[in-house]
Amino acid sequence: MWLWFSKLGSPKWFYELSGKWLPWLIAAMVVFMTVGLVWGLLFLPPDYQQGFTSRILIVHVAVAGTSLAFFPLLLVSGTITLVWRMKLADMVAKNAAILGAWFSFITLATGSLWGSVMWGTWWEWTDSRLVSMLFQLFLLLGVISLRSALEDSETAAKACALLSIVGCINVVIIKYSVEWWNTLHQVSSPVSMDTQSPNGPEFWIATLIMIVAVYLFLSVSLILSTRNEILERERKSQWVQDLVSKS
Amino acid sequence: MLDAIQFSSFAEFIDMGGYGFNVWSVYGLFAIFVAVNLVLPLRKKQKILRQLKRRMMLEEEIKSEDS
Repeated sequence: MWLWFSKLGSPKWFYELSGKWLPWLIAAMVVFMTVGLVWGLLFLPPDYQQGFTSRILIVHVAVAGTSLAFFPLLLVSGTITLVWRMKLADMVAKNAAILGAWFSFITLATGSLWGSVMWGTWWEWTDSRLVSMLFQLFLLLGVISLRSALEDSETAAKACALLSIVGCINVVIIKYSVEWWNTLHQVSSPVSMDTQSPNGPEFWIATLIMIVAVYLFLSVSLILSTRNEILERERKSQWVQDLVSKS
Repeated sequence: MLDAIQFSSFAEFIDMGGYGFNVWSVYGLFAIFVAVNLVLPLRKKQKILRQLKRRMMLEEEIKSEDS
């Protein structure tokens, strides 16, 4: 178990293994993205209240739900960096923060584009779901700037781990905000198998496909940028030199 | 399967029941978001490999001049 764990932390090992996984992950991502987007744009029936704006929601819900995974990921990788000094975890954390900020931004933008027609407003400062999501974006921007200001230092790792704890508490607040303080953002619709129901199977299966597609995209993008980080940080090692001379 | 397509003309498809701007903005934004976060790391990898290769060749040149 310990041998496996320290092997997993070795950048070289990760680089080789992820190289084998990437083609499969990319293929699965392309399949799910294509099915999800074609279904969303062509086949999804209009909602009885929202018309075709329900098509916005399959993208919005998938990106928003996935964006909640970043702070738990940052907390886990931050802990591994601080406790076991694993370099790989730190490289993942650096790129996850940047990708997470993208996810949070896209969540807010797609939500606004839906809200502007369905709620009649782009933004509502009194809505807890909207404000806590904006707070997540700012926290991630905070993590990114902290890391770039205190490059690769112990202080940076500690400060970011601390911010990740705040971020994880905020994730819980985002998740339950619609139930605790009900202002504007609606609660999650219950899943229904009934084809006559407004949120029947076509709608939630399309959402589910998009969620899988977005998670696959997250993994592919994060693996690609982590591999770049490995090449840069390990450029003096023999295996990178060999790789470069072969390329 | 094709009968399940919700539109009878291309104009209707663009219009999205009157919500064309919002629906297409969301899908456009999403496409940009996905493309950027895949293309940028791929291009960066090429750049890193090119730089490392150049450095390696320089080092070899210096070594051969020394000897």
